[in-house]
Amino acid sequence: MHVAVKIAGALVVGTALGLAATWFVTGRGGMGDNVANGPWKTSLVVGSPQSDPYTRARVALHGLLALNRKETIYFTAETDSDGAALNGTCRYEIDGRDPNTRWWSITAYGSDDYLIPNPQNLYSVSQTSVLRQKDGSFRIAVGGTHAPADMSWIPAGSGPFSLTLRLYNPGPDVALDPEHVVLPTLKKVSCP
Amino acid sequence: MNERAQDWIFWIAATILVAMIVHLGSIYLLPRVVMMRALERLGAANIMHVGKRPTSASHAIVRPSPDILYATCPYDLSKGPLRVTTPVIHTSYWSVSAFDSNTDNFFVKNDQQTPAASLELVVVERGQAWPKLDNAVERVILFSPSEKGLILIRTVIDDDKHIPAIEASLHQARCETVASAPKLR
Repeated sequence: MHVAVKIAGALVVGTALGLAATWFVTGRGGMGDNVANGPWKTSLVVGSPQSDPYTRARVALHGLLALNRKETIYFTAETDSDGAALNGTCRYEIDGRDPNTRWWSITAYGSDDYLIPNPQNLYSVSQTSVLRQKDGSFRIAVGGTHAPADMSWIPAGSGPFSLTLRLYNPGPDVALDPEHVVLPTLKKVSCP
Repeated sequence: MNERAQDWIFWIAATILVAMIVHLGSIYLLPRVVMMRALERLGAANIMHVGKRPTSASHAIVRPSPDILYATCPYDLSKGPLRVTTPVIHTSYWSVSAFDSNTDNFFVKNDQQTPAASLELVVVERGQAWPKLDNAVERVILFSPSEKGLILIRTVIDDDKHIPAIEASLHQARCETVASAPKLR
Protein backbone atom coordinates (compact mmCIF):
# COMPACT_ATOMS: atom_id res chain seq x y z
CA MET A 1 0.00 0.00 0.00
CA HIS A 2 2.69 2.45 1.06
CA VAL A 3 4.86 1.63 -1.92
CA ALA A 4 1.94 2.05 -4.34
CA VAL A 5 1.23 5.52 -2.93
CA LYS A 6 4.92 6.45 -3.26
CA ILE A 7 5.08 5.23 -6.87
CA ALA A 8 1.92 7.17 -7.71
CA GLY A 9 3.38 10.21 -5.98
CA ALA A 10 6.66 10.01 -7.91
CA LEU A 11 4.76 9.63 -11.20
CA VAL A 12 2.34 12.51 -10.54
CA VAL A 13 4.90 14.92 -9.12
CA GLY A 14 7.52 13.93 -11.72
CA THR A 15 5.06 14.40 -14.60
CA ALA A 16 3.98 17.78 -13.26
CA LEU A 17 7.59 18.92 -12.85
CA GLY A 18 8.53 17.65 -16.33
CA LEU A 19 5.61 19.44 -18.01
CA ALA A 20 6.26 22.60 -15.97
CA ALA A 21 9.86 22.60 -17.22
CA THR A 22 8.62 22.21 -20.81
CA TRP A 23 6.13 25.05 -20.35
CA PHE A 24 8.84 27.21 -18.82
CA VAL A 25 11.43 26.72 -21.56
CA THR A 26 8.99 27.00 -24.48
CA GLY A 27 6.85 29.83 -23.14
CA ARG A 28 9.49 32.52 -23.32
CA GLY A 29 12.02 33.88 -25.77
CA GLY A 30 9.78 33.78 -28.84
CA MET A 31 11.20 31.52 -31.51
CA GLY A 32 14.54 31.28 -29.77
CA ASP A 33 16.79 33.94 -28.42
CA ASN A 34 20.38 32.92 -28.90
CA VAL A 35 21.05 36.15 -30.82
CA ALA A 36 20.11 39.54 -29.37
CA ASN A 37 20.40 42.85 -31.20
CA GLY A 38 18.99 45.54 -28.90
CA PRO A 39 15.41 44.44 -28.12
CA TRP A 40 15.34 42.23 -31.25
CA LYS A 41 15.98 38.55 -30.65
CA THR A 42 16.34 35.68 -33.08
CA SER A 43 17.75 32.20 -33.46
CA LEU A 44 20.07 31.24 -36.29
CA VAL A 45 18.73 27.72 -36.61
CA VAL A 46 15.00 28.46 -36.99
CA GLY A 47 13.38 26.24 -39.57
CA SER A 48 16.49 24.26 -40.36
CA PRO A 49 16.97 20.55 -39.77
CA GLN A 50 20.01 21.56 -37.65
CA SER A 51 17.77 23.14 -35.04
CA ASP A 52 17.94 21.54 -31.60
CA PRO A 53 14.82 19.99 -30.05
CA TYR A 54 14.28 23.03 -27.81
CA THR A 55 14.39 25.57 -30.67
CA ARG A 56 12.14 23.28 -32.73
CA ALA A 57 9.60 23.10 -29.89
CA ARG A 58 9.64 26.88 -29.41
CA VAL A 59 9.28 27.54 -33.14
CA ALA A 60 6.39 25.06 -33.33
CA LEU A 61 4.58 27.06 -30.66
CA HIS A 62 5.52 30.62 -31.63
CA GLY A 63 6.56 30.57 -35.29
CA LEU A 64 5.35 27.42 -37.01
CA LEU A 65 6.33 27.19 -40.71
CA ALA A 66 9.15 29.72 -40.37
CA LEU A 67 11.73 29.72 -43.14
CA ASN A 68 15.48 29.28 -42.69
CA ARG A 69 17.66 32.37 -42.23
CA LYS A 70 18.92 32.63 -45.82
CA GLU A 71 15.32 33.06 -46.89
CA THR A 72 13.90 35.08 -44.00
CA ILE A 73 15.24 36.27 -40.65
CA TYR A 74 12.59 36.75 -37.98
CA PHE A 75 13.53 39.14 -35.17
CA THR A 76 11.09 39.28 -32.25
CA ALA A 77 10.92 42.04 -29.64
CA GLU A 78 9.04 41.46 -26.39
CA THR A 79 10.61 44.49 -24.71
CA ASP A 80 11.52 48.06 -25.63
CA SER A 81 15.12 49.24 -26.02
CA ASP A 82 15.33 49.73 -22.23
CA GLY A 83 14.26 46.17 -21.51
CA ALA A 84 10.71 46.91 -20.26
CA ALA A 85 7.96 44.51 -21.42
CA LEU A 86 5.82 45.85 -24.27
CA ASN A 87 2.23 46.80 -23.41
CA GLY A 88 -0.33 48.07 -25.93
CA THR A 89 -1.64 50.83 -23.67
CA CYS A 90 1.77 52.55 -23.89
CA ARG A 91 2.98 54.47 -26.92
CA TYR A 92 6.27 53.40 -28.54
CA GLU A 93 8.25 54.70 -31.46
CA ILE A 94 10.34 52.69 -33.90
CA ASP A 95 13.01 54.77 -35.63
CA GLY A 96 15.36 53.61 -38.31
CA ARG A 97 16.43 53.14 -41.88
CA ASP A 98 15.85 50.26 -44.26
CA PRO A 99 17.87 47.23 -43.18
CA ASN A 100 19.92 45.56 -45.92
CA THR A 101 17.28 43.18 -47.18
CA ARG A 102 15.06 42.68 -50.20
CA TRP A 103 11.89 43.48 -48.26
CA TRP A 104 10.95 43.94 -44.60
CA SER A 105 7.85 44.16 -42.43
CA ILE A 106 7.10 44.81 -38.75
CA THR A 107 3.98 43.16 -37.29
CA ALA A 108 2.38 43.28 -33.82
CA TYR A 109 1.06 40.09 -32.17
CA GLY A 110 -0.91 39.56 -28.97
CA SER A 111 0.23 37.21 -26.22
CA ASP A 112 -1.77 34.45 -28.00
CA ASP A 113 0.57 34.81 -31.04
CA TYR A 114 -2.26 36.05 -33.31
CA LEU A 115 -2.86 39.46 -34.91
CA ILE A 116 -4.44 41.97 -32.53
CA PRO A 117 -8.04 42.99 -33.40
CA ASN A 118 -8.51 46.74 -33.95
CA PRO A 119 -11.17 48.87 -35.70
CA GLN A 120 -8.70 50.10 -38.32
CA ASN A 121 -7.55 46.57 -39.23
CA LEU A 122 -3.94 47.73 -38.99
CA TYR A 123 -1.49 45.00 -38.09
CA SER A 124 1.84 45.86 -39.68
CA VAL A 125 4.05 48.29 -41.55
CA SER A 126 6.33 47.28 -44.40
CA GLN A 127 9.12 48.60 -46.56
CA THR A 128 6.57 49.59 -49.18
CA SER A 129 3.80 50.90 -46.89
CA VAL A 130 5.81 52.89 -44.32
CA LEU A 131 5.60 56.69 -44.31
CA ARG A 132 9.09 58.12 -44.71
CA GLN A 133 10.87 61.27 -43.60
CA LYS A 134 12.48 63.53 -46.21
CA ASP A 135 15.84 61.77 -45.72
CA GLY A 136 14.31 58.33 -46.39
CA SER A 137 14.33 57.20 -42.74
CA PHE A 138 11.12 56.19 -41.01
CA ARG A 139 9.34 56.68 -37.69
CA ILE A 140 6.59 54.24 -36.75
CA ALA A 141 4.23 54.76 -33.81
CA VAL A 142 3.25 51.55 -32.00
CA GLY A 143 0.47 51.18 -29.42
CA GLY A 144 -1.66 53.91 -27.90
CA THR A 145 -5.12 54.92 -29.05
CA HIS A 146 -4.62 56.82 -32.29
CA ALA A 147 -2.24 57.48 -35.16
CA PRO A 148 0.00 60.54 -34.77
CA ALA A 149 0.29 62.84 -37.79
CA ASP A 150 2.94 62.04 -40.40
CA MET A 151 3.78 58.63 -38.95
CA SER A 152 2.79 55.08 -39.76
CA TRP A 153 0.94 53.43 -36.89
CA ILE A 154 0.60 49.89 -35.58
CA PRO A 155 -2.10 49.58 -32.86
CA ALA A 156 -1.23 46.99 -30.22
CA GLY A 157 -4.40 46.37 -28.18
CA SER A 158 -4.44 46.95 -24.45
CA GLY A 159 -2.23 44.22 -23.06
CA PRO A 160 1.16 42.56 -23.52
CA PHE A 161 2.27 42.25 -27.14
CA SER A 162 5.33 41.50 -29.22
CA LEU A 163 6.69 42.68 -32.54
CA THR A 164 8.18 40.60 -35.34
CA LEU A 165 10.60 42.18 -37.79
CA ARG A 166 10.82 40.00 -40.92
CA LEU A 167 13.71 40.41 -43.34
CA TYR A 168 13.08 38.60 -46.64
CA ASN A 169 16.21 37.58 -48.55
CA PRO A 170 18.47 39.44 -46.12
CA GLY A 171 21.81 40.77 -47.37
CA PRO A 172 24.86 38.59 -46.60
CA ASP A 173 25.97 40.89 -43.75
CA VAL A 174 22.60 40.45 -42.03
CA ALA A 175 22.42 36.70 -42.57
CA LEU A 176 25.99 36.13 -41.33
CA ASP A 177 26.01 38.57 -38.41
CA PRO A 178 22.46 39.46 -37.33
CA GLU A 179 23.79 40.46 -33.91
CA HIS A 180 25.65 43.52 -35.18
CA VAL A 181 23.64 44.91 -38.09
CA VAL A 182 21.87 48.22 -37.46
CA LEU A 183 18.20 47.59 -36.73
CA PRO A 184 15.47 50.13 -35.91
CA THR A 185 15.30 51.33 -32.30
CA LEU A 186 12.17 50.74 -30.22
CA LYS A 187 11.67 53.39 -27.53
CA LYS A 188 8.83 53.95 -25.09
CA VAL A 189 7.30 57.41 -25.52
CA SER A 190 4.60 57.45 -22.83
CA CYS A 191 2.30 55.32 -20.72
CA PRO A 192 -1.15 56.40 -19.47
CA MET B 1 22.53 7.27 7.14
CA ASN B 2 19.34 5.88 8.54
CA GLU B 3 16.82 3.87 6.56
CA ARG B 4 14.27 6.65 6.47
CA ALA B 5 16.68 9.12 4.85
CA GLN B 6 17.73 6.52 2.28
CA ASP B 7 14.09 5.95 1.48
CA TRP B 8 13.54 9.66 0.87
CA ILE B 9 16.59 9.99 -1.38
CA PHE B 10 15.38 7.05 -3.45
CA TRP B 11 11.91 8.55 -4.00
CA ILE B 12 13.24 12.04 -4.75
CA ALA B 13 15.62 10.51 -7.32
CA ALA B 14 12.73 8.54 -8.84
CA THR B 15 10.61 11.70 -9.07
CA ILE B 16 13.44 13.60 -10.78
CA LEU B 17 13.93 10.74 -13.24
CA VAL B 18 10.21 10.74 -14.11
CA ALA B 19 10.36 14.54 -14.52
CA MET B 20 13.32 14.30 -16.91
CA ILE B 21 11.68 11.58 -19.02
CA VAL B 22 8.40 13.53 -19.23
CA HIS B 23 10.22 16.78 -20.02
CA LEU B 24 12.43 15.37 -22.79
CA GLY B 25 9.54 13.32 -24.20
CA SER B 26 7.24 16.33 -24.35
CA ILE B 27 9.92 18.50 -25.99
CA TYR B 28 10.39 15.76 -28.60
CA LEU B 29 6.67 15.21 -29.21
CA LEU B 30 5.53 18.84 -29.14
CA PRO B 31 6.51 19.85 -32.74
CA ARG B 32 5.04 16.62 -34.11
CA VAL B 33 1.72 17.15 -32.34
CA VAL B 34 1.59 20.85 -33.28
CA MET B 35 2.28 19.99 -36.94
CA MET B 36 -0.29 17.19 -37.00
CA ARG B 37 -2.96 19.54 -35.66
CA ALA B 38 -1.94 22.31 -38.08
CA LEU B 39 -2.20 19.93 -41.05
CA GLU B 40 -5.71 18.98 -39.92
CA ARG B 41 -6.74 22.63 -39.57
CA LEU B 42 -5.39 23.52 -43.02
CA GLY B 43 -7.87 21.19 -44.72
CA ALA B 44 -7.98 18.17 -47.02
CA ALA B 45 -4.68 16.61 -48.04
CA ASN B 46 -3.20 16.73 -51.55
CA ILE B 47 -5.25 19.78 -52.60
CA MET B 48 -4.05 23.38 -52.86
CA HIS B 49 -5.85 25.77 -50.52
CA VAL B 50 -5.53 29.50 -51.27
CA GLY B 51 -5.85 31.61 -48.14
CA LYS B 52 -7.30 35.08 -47.71
CA ARG B 53 -5.07 37.90 -46.49
CA PRO B 54 -4.51 37.20 -42.76
CA THR B 55 -6.46 39.27 -40.21
CA SER B 56 -6.99 39.04 -36.45
CA ALA B 57 -9.57 36.32 -37.25
CA SER B 58 -6.92 34.06 -38.84
CA HIS B 59 -6.11 31.39 -36.27
CA ALA B 60 -5.00 28.43 -38.40
CA ILE B 61 -1.28 29.11 -37.89
CA VAL B 62 0.43 31.24 -35.21
CA ARG B 63 1.97 34.60 -36.14
CA PRO B 64 0.67 34.89 -39.71
CA SER B 65 2.00 37.82 -41.76
CA PRO B 66 -0.72 40.21 -42.95
CA ASP B 67 1.64 41.23 -45.78
CA ILE B 68 1.74 37.78 -47.33
CA LEU B 69 -0.77 35.76 -49.31
CA TYR B 70 -0.37 32.07 -48.57
CA ALA B 71 -1.36 28.94 -50.47
CA THR B 72 -1.04 25.62 -48.67
CA CYS B 73 -1.10 21.98 -49.64
CA PRO B 74 -1.04 19.53 -46.72
CA TYR B 75 0.27 16.32 -48.24
CA ASP B 76 0.07 12.62 -47.54
CA LEU B 77 2.31 10.40 -49.66
CA SER B 78 0.73 7.10 -48.58
CA LYS B 79 -1.19 6.84 -51.87
CA GLY B 80 1.67 7.92 -54.11
CA PRO B 81 4.00 10.83 -54.88
CA LEU B 82 2.71 14.40 -54.94
CA ARG B 83 2.94 16.71 -57.93
CA VAL B 84 2.81 20.47 -57.33
CA THR B 85 2.62 22.86 -60.27
CA THR B 86 2.66 26.60 -59.69
CA PRO B 87 3.20 29.83 -61.57
CA VAL B 88 6.22 31.80 -60.32
CA ILE B 89 5.55 35.42 -59.38
CA HIS B 90 8.53 37.67 -60.11
CA THR B 91 7.11 41.08 -59.15
CA SER B 92 7.68 40.68 -55.39
CA TYR B 93 9.17 38.10 -53.01
CA TRP B 94 7.69 34.68 -53.81
CA SER B 95 8.73 31.30 -52.47
CA VAL B 96 7.58 27.72 -52.29
CA SER B 97 8.72 25.73 -49.27
CA ALA B 98 8.22 22.26 -47.85
CA PHE B 99 7.94 21.21 -44.20
CA ASP B 100 8.03 17.69 -42.80
CA SER B 101 5.90 16.32 -39.97
CA ASN B 102 8.60 17.41 -37.53
CA THR B 103 8.15 21.10 -38.63
CA ASP B 104 11.59 21.17 -40.32
CA ASN B 105 11.80 23.31 -43.46
CA PHE B 106 13.52 20.82 -45.80
CA PHE B 107 13.12 22.75 -49.04
CA VAL B 108 12.66 26.33 -50.20
CA LYS B 109 13.03 28.03 -53.57
CA ASN B 110 12.26 31.70 -54.24
CA ASP B 111 11.45 33.65 -57.37
CA GLN B 112 15.03 34.90 -57.83
CA GLN B 113 16.22 31.30 -57.95
CA THR B 114 13.48 30.37 -60.45
CA PRO B 115 13.65 32.39 -63.67
CA ALA B 116 11.02 30.16 -65.35
CA ALA B 117 7.38 31.29 -65.41
CA SER B 118 6.26 28.09 -63.69
CA LEU B 119 7.72 25.40 -61.49
CA GLU B 120 6.87 21.78 -60.86
CA LEU B 121 7.76 19.89 -57.69
CA VAL B 122 7.47 16.14 -57.32
CA VAL B 123 7.50 15.09 -53.68
CA VAL B 124 8.40 11.47 -52.89
CA GLU B 125 9.28 9.60 -49.76
CA ARG B 126 12.63 7.89 -49.60
CA GLY B 127 12.31 4.54 -51.29
CA GLN B 128 9.22 5.60 -53.23
CA ALA B 129 9.57 5.43 -57.02
CA TRP B 130 8.74 8.71 -58.71
CA PRO B 131 6.48 8.86 -61.73
CA LYS B 132 7.67 8.91 -65.31
CA LEU B 133 7.23 12.48 -66.47
CA ASP B 134 8.02 14.50 -69.54
CA ASN B 135 11.05 16.77 -69.58
CA ALA B 136 9.35 19.90 -70.81
CA VAL B 137 9.12 21.80 -67.53
CA GLU B 138 11.36 23.13 -64.77
CA ARG B 139 11.04 20.38 -62.19
CA VAL B 140 12.49 19.59 -58.79
CA ILE B 141 12.28 16.15 -57.20
CA LEU B 142 11.97 16.46 -53.41
CA PHE B 143 12.60 13.72 -50.91
CA SER B 144 10.27 14.17 -47.98
CA PRO B 145 11.67 12.88 -44.67
CA SER B 146 8.12 11.97 -43.59
CA GLU B 147 4.95 10.61 -45.17
CA LYS B 148 2.98 13.71 -44.21
CA GLY B 149 3.98 17.34 -44.50
CA LEU B 150 3.12 20.69 -46.02
CA ILE B 151 3.85 22.65 -49.19
CA LEU B 152 3.57 26.40 -48.56
CA ILE B 153 3.62 29.16 -51.17
CA ARG B 154 4.24 32.73 -49.96
CA THR B 155 3.88 35.93 -51.96
CA VAL B 156 4.62 39.34 -50.47
CA ILE B 157 1.86 41.95 -50.94
CA ASP B 158 4.15 44.84 -51.90
CA ASP B 159 1.10 46.95 -52.82
CA ASP B 160 -2.59 46.35 -52.01
CA LYS B 161 -3.39 47.01 -55.68
CA HIS B 162 -1.57 43.78 -56.59
CA ILE B 163 -3.73 41.51 -54.41
CA PRO B 164 -6.16 40.41 -57.20
CA ALA B 165 -3.26 39.48 -59.52
CA ILE B 166 -1.44 37.57 -56.76
CA GLU B 167 -4.65 35.74 -55.79
CA ALA B 168 -5.31 34.83 -59.42
CA SER B 169 -1.80 33.40 -59.71
CA LEU B 170 -2.10 31.40 -56.45
CA HIS B 171 -5.42 29.96 -57.67
CA GLN B 172 -3.57 28.49 -60.64
CA ALA B 173 -1.31 26.46 -58.38
CA ARG B 174 -2.15 22.74 -58.27
CA CYS B 175 -1.28 19.87 -56.00
CA GLU B 176 -2.27 16.25 -56.68
CA THR B 177 -1.33 12.64 -56.01
CA VAL B 178 0.25 10.89 -58.99
CA ALA B 179 0.89 7.20 -59.59
CA SER B 180 4.39 5.85 -59.01
CA ALA B 181 6.15 4.34 -61.99
CA PRO B 182 5.94 0.54 -61.94
CA LYS B 183 9.01 -0.95 -60.21
CA LEU B 184 11.64 -2.31 -62.57
CA ARG B 185 12.24 -6.02 -62.32
